[in-house]
Amino acid sequence: MHPDLDQQRSLARRLRELPDEAAQPYGWREFQRRSGARRRAGQGLAGGRALATASVLATASVLATASVLALGIIAVWTRLGGWSPHSARLTPQAAQPPAGRTAAMEHWLASLPSEPAVVHVGTRAAVTGLEDRIAQVDDLLSAERLDEAHPARLLALQQARTRLVGALVQVRYAETLADESR
Amino acid sequence: MKKFYLTPSWHMLIASSAAACVAVAAPGPPPAAVLPEVRADGDLDAQLDAARKRLEEAAHEVAQLSSQLSGSVIQQVMPFEPGHAIIGVQLEPATGTAGARVREVSPGGPAAEAGIHVGDVIVAVNGTELKGREPARQVVRIMRDVQPDATVQLRVLRDGKTRELSVTARPGPAVLASVHGLSDLGFGPFPEWHGALMLHGPLMDMELATLTPRLGSYFGSDQGVLVVRAPADGALKLEDGDVILAIDGRQPTSGSHATRILSSYQPGEKLTLRIIRQHKTLEVDATLPESMGRIRKDMMWREVAPRERTEPARRVLILGRDEA
Repeated sequence: MHPDLDQQRSLARRLRELPDEAAQPYGWREFQRRSGARRRAGQGLAGGRALATASVLATASVLATASVLALGIIAVWTRLGGWSPHSARLTPQAAQPPAGRTAAMEHWLASLPSEPAVVHVGTRAAVTGLEDRIAQVDDLLSAERLDEAHPARLLALQQARTRLVGALVQVRYAETLADESR
Repeated sequence: MKKFYLTPSWHMLIASSAAACVAVAAPGPPPAAVLPEVRADGDLDAQLDAARKRLEEAAHEVAQLSSQLSGSVIQQVMPFEPGHAIIGVQLEPATGTAGARVREVSPGGPAAEAGIHVGDVIVAVNGTELKGREPARQVVRIMRDVQPDATVQLRVLRDGKTRELSVTARPGPAVLASVHGLSDLGFGPFPEWHGALMLHGPLMDMELATLTPRLGSYFGSDQGVLVVRAPADGALKLEDGDVILAIDGRQPTSGSHATRILSSYQPGEKLTLRIIRQHKTLEVDATLPESMGRIRKDMMWREVAPRERTEPARRVLILGRDEA
């Protein structure tokens, strides 16, 4: 076998062996703690221009770090098949999405306030659009399951739900970061 | 007329209310006291604004593409099924008791907002007790007759106790009529949902805050949504500091609710806003902006007739007028 192919397979295998639950960079409480720490640091140097610059740089670095981490998570999920458009196909052979991953994402979502204190309408529309789509898929899943639909249909809907919840996590994370940096 | 602007003191007020909201909503240590904003270097401010904008744009794209992908799955599973009101739960038959067990609750969905939990057993819907062999199917059947925005009364069993919960049903999002060959026809990223105007139009930069009692006391209202930043280009004729009391008679209870209401309109539609401006209540007639960014103007919405009389019509996005 060509060594490049062998290396690729080895990488794919190692990625698949990663734990199901890709932890968020940090949770809401940690977010609050860091925010508080930044503000306290700001109080100590109040009025200083150096502080202002440091504060902005710190926020920018948080944004940049989070973006890099988010991209990393997306990359891993893509490798794991969670974000592949092919997973939307109605193939019964497709792997069942890991329930633990979705549960972890939903747990994280439940730990957030229902909305930021100041709502940025563009981003909120993205959030509400996803929430409504997930609710629609859930209602469809209920009806399909009760009608004993073909397993492939249920699987496709379940995968769509997982993808939507993943997207909602990312959008809410971005919303929280943007809100905190204002 | 004297114009009303959000001065730094208003921002302070909003920010402190924001901190209070966070403290109530998120358990754990209280947030640090809000400090006066320190003016930063202009260039860095601009860079931060640009970074934030990129972050938000990426979030919009993730949401839009994910929604598109799921839309095509929904179409494959149930092509052209007329939409109906949704509450956002997955149900299954309960074991050991008559009722429908809640298997999943949609995050941010109507049932979640109403306080429905996974594991709750629904024993009655709108006063009708669930009996017989297929209670979960009964709930699905009842829900098909519920209109969007209607209140559904659910009686649930949780930890052996009965609770009455009110769920406000939402309209199901529109489903795209056709997704084949879009790129060949020059269609860019497809809107595919009812909130497209909010993602790409002049309303996207509008900022709203839910009116808390403390904020409300300054504006002379205990309800409504505060306009922190009005839409660009004078869209909707709103100004910073207005309080939106109603949109065509629908009273927004939060920033999210106002966003959902506005998302239900199409470009060019007219609406009437009841607002408080400088302690005076006004009715403002406005038109939703036509500008929808990358969305082609020859797309149109069309009512699709229901297959059964009991099912409501729904709106779908149709490709160019030639196909109308």
